[in-house]
Amino acid sequence: MREAQEGSGTAMARLYSLHWRGAYRAAYLVAHDAAAAEDIAQDAFLAAVDALDRFDRRRPFRPWLHRIVVNRALDWARREALRRRVDGAESVFEPLPPPEEIGGEMIAALKELPAEQRAVVVLRHLLEYTPGEIARMLELPRGTVNSRLRRGLDRLRAAAEAERLAGERR
Amino acid sequence: MSDDRVRRALRDTAIPEPPGAAERGRRIVAAAFAERRSGDRDGCSEPRGAMTPTTSEGRGRRPVPRLALGLSLAALLAVLLLSPAGAAVRDWVDEALTASTPKPEPTLAKVPGGGKLLVQTGEGPVVVRPDGSKRLLGGYEAASWSPHGLFVAAVEKRKLSALEPDGTVRWSITAAQRVAVPRWSPSGERIAYRSGFDLRVIAGDGSEDRLLAGSTAAGTSPDARISPAYVPPAWSPTGENALAYVTGAGRLRILDSETGAVLAGAPALRRITWMDWADRGRKILEAAPATIRLRAVLPAGHPSRPALGKARRLHLPPRATVNDAALAPQTPLVAASITHWRKHGTYSEVIVFEPGHGTRTLLSVPGSLGQVEWSPDGKRLLIAWPGADQWLFLPLGRGRGRAIADISRAIAPSGRPTSFPELEGWCCPSP
Repeated sequence: MREAQEGSGTAMARLYSLHWRGAYRAAYLVAHDAAAAEDIAQDAFLAAVDALDRFDRRRPFRPWLHRIVVNRALDWARREALRRRVDGAESVFEPLPPPEEIGGEMIAALKELPAEQRAVVVLRHLLEYTPGEIARMLELPRGTVNSRLRRGLDRLRAAAEAERLAGERR
Repeated sequence: MSDDRVRRALRDTAIPEPPGAAERGRRIVAAAFAERRSGDRDGCSEPRGAMTPTTSEGRGRRPVPRLALGLSLAALLAVLLLSPAGAAVRDWVDEALTASTPKPEPTLAKVPGGGKLLVQTGEGPVVVRPDGSKRLLGGYEAASWSPHGLFVAAVEKRKLSALEPDGTVRWSITAAQRVAVPRWSPSGERIAYRSGFDLRVIAGDGSEDRLLAGSTAAGTSPDARISPAYVPPAWSPTGENALAYVTGAGRLRILDSETGAVLAGAPALRRITWMDWADRGRKILEAAPATIRLRAVLPAGHPSRPALGKARRLHLPPRATVNDAALAPQTPLVAASITHWRKHGTYSEVIVFEPGHGTRTLLSVPGSLGQVEWSPDGKRLLIAWPGADQWLFLPLGRGRGRAIADISRAIAPSGRPTSFPELEGWCCPSP
């Protein structure tokens, strides 16, 4: 980070290489849209470039980037949900077909969670932040983070179990 | 189910990723970083860094991400729409949607207005025939039509290939560096393309491959060559040998493609993403994320001895972001897809400019629109609307517009969408 702040393109490239994959994956798992995830990940890095001079070197880069990524992915998912509701209610558009299952019962089940639960599950179990850190990143009470995590995991467990039973019946 | 199992699933399960996404992001971030540095240091150069791009996908018309533009306000809009006080806003949204967009149809039964589309999907380029049937050309990264739609130039890593529209390979060459942005000359006799930062030309039959402009430019900051070098070159529509391209140092140049002689040059638009000849070779259109402008080519209509005249900006709403721009075939009309803020939030419009006669807004929707492409007869526009997963075919004059729903799935050869398809070209009705 220090070298990037001093203007080294190589250092900026290193930061990008280190963090792009994780940023994209986190954005995808919250938004469940590949094009949106690409834009969100890109946009987070552009925000990093813009804020490079103001960035406090004593603080780690990773959570700062992930905070942007997850919050923007969350905004995107909420907006999409809203758009579908408005479209469906007024029949302006044909209803969208059910989303394509992309493989892995866990990912499919994750997709069915509310966006707010997805975000905390991704922050906790993909990016491995503590509930306290997640609470700060999403500006939520810690109890809310814990309850969203618990509900999210319960629903993931239920989905995985249903899938397992269905597999046995087949 | 253990936490570890959740962790492994989230970390290891394959997820879809638009082809070239990481590389595209790297280029855009590198360009932003270089721009910030050049602003900081007023033109000082730095040693070539690892952010300097070595590859390219797509045709260079992809804009900088604009998603962020609408996100924060979208959240506010969500609150408004779902609250009792939001009824007026909801009415406004309904009005905006119904007033401007046709009801979507579930399938693309035929291409409205005729012609063939070339579309880049996550699995490779696809030809959509006039009857709506599709053909995947192979696992190429980008493709473009020959002038009469008889062939397609396609690239994959260091390979440049000429294909028939059914995917049959006519010839292929392997270049020294990664190949990008192939563009066929109007006569069909030449293809200009980038290999690394080099601009090269090859005959339409795959022979006579040669370097036209090298990558090194004395006194040029290497970082300054990041994005301009991937603006697709553009052939003069007059059938002469004039080829316009943007140098790594951000200069717009016209070359004689036979001799390599520089015929004319001028500074390109800052942060240029796309350019092409306009008005039958009398102008050059340049597009950047915040600007579209037309530069006169003098003397008019004689590109064998051109000079670049003054550039004139086309009027855009304040703080508008240009998503894409396209020139009508045969006429001087320019269509642009833009996104900007309005009282109620982010809005996108398709504007048609008729130089000298003003502008007309063809479409206005909430959220973001994407690419725009003219039909071969110049009578309608195909507008990509990724947020709604639709293509809109809108006539310029009277007539019914059409919307096709679920485009990511409809165009994906396997029927399993990985990303919203990119428009590469809409070509000529079948002979």
